[in-house]
Amino acid sequence: MSTPTGAEVAVERVSKSFGRVASLRELSLQVGAGEAVAVTGRSGSGKSTLLAMIGGLEQPDTGRVLIDGRAIWTEPRPARARREEVGFVFQKHLLLPSLTARANVEVPLIGAGMHRRERRRRALELLAEVALQDRAEHRPAELSGGESQRVAVARALANEPKLLLADEPTGALDSATSVRVLDLLLRLRDQLGMTLIIVSHDRSVGNRTDRTVTLIDGRVEPECSDVELYKG
Amino acid sequence: MIVALLSFTQGLKQTAAGFVHLGGSDLGIFQANVSDPTASLLPESLVARVASRPDVSAATPLVLIVEGLKSDPGAIVFGADPSGFFYRGLVLTAGHAPVTGTQQVLVGDRLASTSHLSAGSPVTISGHRFTVSGIYNSGILFEDSGAVLELPQAQALTGRPGEVTDIVVQLSPGTHASSAAGQIEKEFPGTQAISDPQQALRAGANSTLISKAILVIVVIALIVGGISVANTMAMSIMERQGEIGILATVGWSPWRVASLVLSEGVAVSMLGAAAGLLLGVIGGGLLVKALGVSTYVTPAVTAWGLGQALLVGVAIGVLGGIYPAWRVTRMRPLKALANA
Repeated sequence: MSTPTGAEVAVERVSKSFGRVASLRELSLQVGAGEAVAVTGRSGSGKSTLLAMIGGLEQPDTGRVLIDGRAIWTEPRPARARREEVGFVFQKHLLLPSLTARANVEVPLIGAGMHRRERRRRALELLAEVALQDRAEHRPAELSGGESQRVAVARALANEPKLLLADEPTGALDSATSVRVLDLLLRLRDQLGMTLIIVSHDRSVGNRTDRTVTLIDGRVEPECSDVELYKG
Repeated sequence: MIVALLSFTQGLKQTAAGFVHLGGSDLGIFQANVSDPTASLLPESLVARVASRPDVSAATPLVLIVEGLKSDPGAIVFGADPSGFFYRGLVLTAGHAPVTGTQQVLVGDRLASTSHLSAGSPVTISGHRFTVSGIYNSGILFEDSGAVLELPQAQALTGRPGEVTDIVVQLSPGTHASSAAGQIEKEFPGTQAISDPQQALRAGANSTLISKAILVIVVIALIVGGISVANTMAMSIMERQGEIGILATVGWSPWRVASLVLSEGVAVSMLGAAAGLLLGVIGGGLLVKALGVSTYVTPAVTAWGLGQALLVGVAIGVLGGIYPAWRVTRMRPLKALANA
């Protein structure tokens, strides 16, 4: 695989409310190119909303998100930017159940207009990268939870993103499998140089990344201790 | 349904063609502005005047008795002059021509088959008893599905001596039918000379009504079909929100997703159209048989009719898929993902 460079992420005074519930409150955050950052916090602290803002799946009410200095989510054709800049991994693998592992990895490449033969080659290459080349023609129902999540990682890397966003990627997995998936994400970060932002309840994830950012009530509390973080 | 309707329309045209060219005539003269050509009334004396025209080779009168045959109300009984070309054009396949002045009648081979009639069989026409003297074939659906009496007998049955329903005309060689029709109408005001099936369909209010009714039914069927496809596709979109959210998340543009939805709608409609074609062809024939209206109309399935039905199927798929496809472009990926 070729080596994408990481993207710089700048979140500038972003606020977002859903109805009367304020999810993010003038949140600012900087992530350097190629950095691996864990975003932790209690349920409802705004972690997933922050990730959705960074990935362009939601638009902030106020403030802005810059990727490599550009507010790409407000430019025309945000889908193209999403395709070329960002890869997503979710807690539920979100594979299309009627497609094989290989076909699932090809889906982003179809959106990119890649030729069929080239798509197939790249999909198999990515599955080999996550050690699932032997399971390429199996459907999600025939894969374990860990295997499905690894296919999801391969799909996220299909278009060589500069930024990989993982929202609770190990949340539905057992501890051993969680370690393997986390190892995979970090290895790929080291190998490809992309920026990695992982949202997780699991505090141990923060021990593996370059930095941990903690959210409390929609704001960043980078200096927060464990006691302060989890007090009621 | 479209196939059945189109084949009925085509069948109606073919029936009208047979109606216009009774006895192998080039045109038929009817009373103008009647609700139904079979209700036309003309003076018998008009026949000689028409026959004397230089562009007319022969003219013969006909009386049409509708619903006169007790055993088959759909059959038409023709009253014809035995010396005219209509009567002389009947080819006897059994029995003999009626003896003048007796209560005898000829029946068409199609009517004989469906009503199990043969030479010597009794039939009741307008409440009067007749005997079948012979079976004929003319090659025209209307005629072969009916019966033929001598003209005076038919006039007596209708209670209109000296009057006829229409005058069928054979034109002199080289005469243009539509031009002759126009000139006849001009020379004999109050008449309508019909030389082609479209004119026959428009000739009476009933025929026009039927054509318009079919058009309305077709349009309603198209609207219902379009709404049905749109509703089905919209429900499909709602159920597949998660899938759509995933496609958006991995970078598919809204328009690419929308085109996927639209092409699915077209594919479903084409499959439906193909199945509908088959059902329409089979169902149309069964329906005519069940209703006993084959005398008046027989579904005529043509390649163009099938092509039209298929095009309509595709069009319905496209039109019905437009709204769901548009909805897809408005979907927020994160909200859609929540349903994955």
